[in-house]
Amino acid sequence: MAGYIGRRLLGLVPLLLGITLLSFFMIHLAPGKPTVLQDSMNPKISLDVRNRLEKLYGLDKSLPAQYFLWMQRLLKLDFGRSLGDDRLVMEKIMERMPVTLSINILSMVVLFLIAIPLGIQCAVKEGTFFDHAWTILLFLLFAAPTFWLALLLMQFFGITLGWLPISALKSLDYEYFTWWQKIGDLARHLFLPILVSAFGSLAGVSRYMRSNMIETLQQPYMYTARAKGLPEQTVIYKHALRNAILPIVTIIGLSIPGLLGGSVIFESIFALPGIGRLFYEAVMMRDYPLIMAEVVIGAVLTMTGNLIADIAYAYVDPRIRYKK
Amino acid sequence: MDDLLKIRGLKINFYLGTQVITAVDGFDLDIGRGEVVVLAGESGSGKTVSALAITRILPRNARVVDGSIIFDGQDLLGLDIRQLRAIRGKDISYVFQEPSSYLNPVYTVGDQIMEAIRLHQNKTKQEAYAQTLKLLEAVKIADPARVAFSYPHQMSGGMNQRAFIAMSLASRPQLLIADEPTTALDVTIESEILQLLLTLKDTLGFSLLFITHNLTIARRIADRVAVMYQGKIVETAPVESIFTDPKHFHTKELISAYEQIGRI
Amino acid sequence: MNKTLIIGVVIIGFFTLIALLAPFLSSYKPSDMDQTHMLMAPSAKHLLGTDSLGRDILSRMMYGARISLTIGLIAVGIATILGLILGSLAGFYGGFIDSLIMRFTDIMLCFPTFFLLLAAVAFLESSIFNIMVIIGLTSWMGPARLIRGEILSLKEREFIQAERALGASHFRIIAVHLIPNALGPVLVNATLGIAAAILLESGLSFLGLGVQPPVPSWGNILIESKSTLGIAWWITLYPGLAILLTILGFNFIAEGLKQKIGGF
Repeated sequence: MAGYIGRRLLGLVPLLLGITLLSFFMIHLAPGKPTVLQDSMNPKISLDVRNRLEKLYGLDKSLPAQYFLWMQRLLKLDFGRSLGDDRLVMEKIMERMPVTLSINILSMVVLFLIAIPLGIQCAVKEGTFFDHAWTILLFLLFAAPTFWLALLLMQFFGITLGWLPISALKSLDYEYFTWWQKIGDLARHLFLPILVSAFGSLAGVSRYMRSNMIETLQQPYMYTARAKGLPEQTVIYKHALRNAILPIVTIIGLSIPGLLGGSVIFESIFALPGIGRLFYEAVMMRDYPLIMAEVVIGAVLTMTGNLIADIAYAYVDPRIRYKK
Repeated sequence: MDDLLKIRGLKINFYLGTQVITAVDGFDLDIGRGEVVVLAGESGSGKTVSALAITRILPRNARVVDGSIIFDGQDLLGLDIRQLRAIRGKDISYVFQEPSSYLNPVYTVGDQIMEAIRLHQNKTKQEAYAQTLKLLEAVKIADPARVAFSYPHQMSGGMNQRAFIAMSLASRPQLLIADEPTTALDVTIESEILQLLLTLKDTLGFSLLFITHNLTIARRIADRVAVMYQGKIVETAPVESIFTDPKHFHTKELISAYEQIGRI
Repeated sequence: MNKTLIIGVVIIGFFTLIALLAPFLSSYKPSDMDQTHMLMAPSAKHLLGTDSLGRDILSRMMYGARISLTIGLIAVGIATILGLILGSLAGFYGGFIDSLIMRFTDIMLCFPTFFLLLAAVAFLESSIFNIMVIIGLTSWMGPARLIRGEILSLKEREFIQAERALGASHFRIIAVHLIPNALGPVLVNATLGIAAAILLESGLSFLGLGVQPPVPSWGNILIESKSTLGIAWWITLYPGLAILLTILGFNFIAEGLKQKIGGF
């Protein structure tokens, strides 16, 4: 196991280098070349901004020197200052991170709580009306754009029923609430974003669980479990489930890029102060240092997610865990 | 002879979409107490399905549609699923072809044996573990504790099959159904496992229904041989007379196949 | 043709027809404003209502179909061609070229597609052309891996070995034999890719970062929907339904093709 993790970590080195190199070239996509005078004419980038970028990334130096500088900054997690408010980019991201993280973790919990039992039930009842009905429903859900679902749910819960607030994280008078009221207030604000975020992957995960389960139910050891005299519940929830659920752990890691992308959309819809909305604002304001930081951090998070997925899978599956 | 198992007119259908395929029709078989019956036939003749049908652990799309299975005086086909579960693994046990894929890959061998023990016997975990070690010793496993804590993929096919036999015999069944238990193993291991089964049969006194396509094994272990062909039992005879006086042409085919192997 | 495929083709055919005939079918110009008829509910005059500038939603959606379908098709065209080239080079030559291309693929896969899209529209400009190209440039990795895998398995088959022995050029083997044989799975993947690209575009346009008004796209009609929640449900409902049906149509086609080609 230790050897396996070591090998996997070593494999990250070229990936990391590739990420830094690719993002480095992205910087050069910024409009205008410092040597060209017309820069000040470009409406998208003022001379002042250009000068600041030039200084930040050393654009007047040779390419290798620029890359070296970029690497140096990345190692120190120094992405420079935001063009908008001159605050440190890293600081801005870190203060927004908790919101995005907690929403995504909570929605992942909700997702698994719904998708796994659903997938199991569809597999166990394969070919019945229950299974067919869910197949159609999930196919529809799979085709629905998440932001549209969010809008429909906002319309229904927020306006038609008037039960839930439809934007922001807290009510305006949040500061005056008691401790319990604060929790309740947060929960009411987070309910829809978490639901929508979970819905986004519900179809995929429950279908995946279903097909894993159907395959597991056909395995020879299922006959053994029944031949022992175990009740059907034990056969399914002990002997089949453990096997069918193993690959699901990898989903947690592999869904990170999708979740990050999704965060941009629904944090914008629900006006939540997370890194997704921060990214959106950065794009609107052409805040290049902030954009670069988000892209690099997004890539590193994705890479880490893949690694965690592999290691988690190796850990839960004894066939890999005990291989030298 | 006092029959432990008496099967008459067994018929099994498979349902594939709108198609109905009759896999077994006209299956009659008797097994006496302490008797070893070999069920022989080419693959696809319905041997395995018939064996699974005895305790109704058939695939989802297969169903027994006719016949009777009298075991120890009661018709198993008339039992509800709860009564049947009390018999599975306790009075009737199975050993299958590929031990490594018939053991659950994510539980240790010990866990799987202990589960079988505690299901039919009122025992604590400690008692079940102690019995697991004894069972593993009984199937001639040298270091039972290590094997108990191993996962199936960590052991050889032969070791897995021994452990599987230990699990099947945990509750002292009256009938052991062994479905090609040695086909996936080396010849030397095969011989050891066969010897083990015969020894255990003598000490524990169970009846053995042994399924194989290989008549060499029949000659070595069987009291009686039943030959199956296209879903039917076509011939049943004591082991001595089946070789000297085969009646059905398929029996002759099987014997000539066996003689060819013998010549090589 | 199976049922799934037919349903998919009918849905997509319907939207394609509307897109092609938009100028003849629509009774208004998509950017015609009518201050006296702002936020009108669906009526005989405006079948799907009007938006806050008094523009006819149905007409905007008909023209929007052109944009969404074009972006989907061209983006996937780019991604598939890139994937075909890189995947077949990697699969055919193996060794250093293979590891170079596959490492690059891994690196590209680390960047969340939507992040790349956002960064690209910030650095470049969000024209329809840019959006198509950028979606294409950021989604070739799936097809590349798929084609590489197909080619690796095809390469070992006899007819390719025979071609090689006959001295056929590499390009000929790749273009004439390998790619056509790998085309089935690629087609399914591309169909799913169109759905994904349309979703990406609609999300981007919904954020105001994609197709820029007054040019209509299904995503940017929805921009208004949050500010008109509770006032004008038709602005939210219909464009979303159009996206959903289109995605559904492409998914059905992919599913149907999969059944037709045989599972993989």
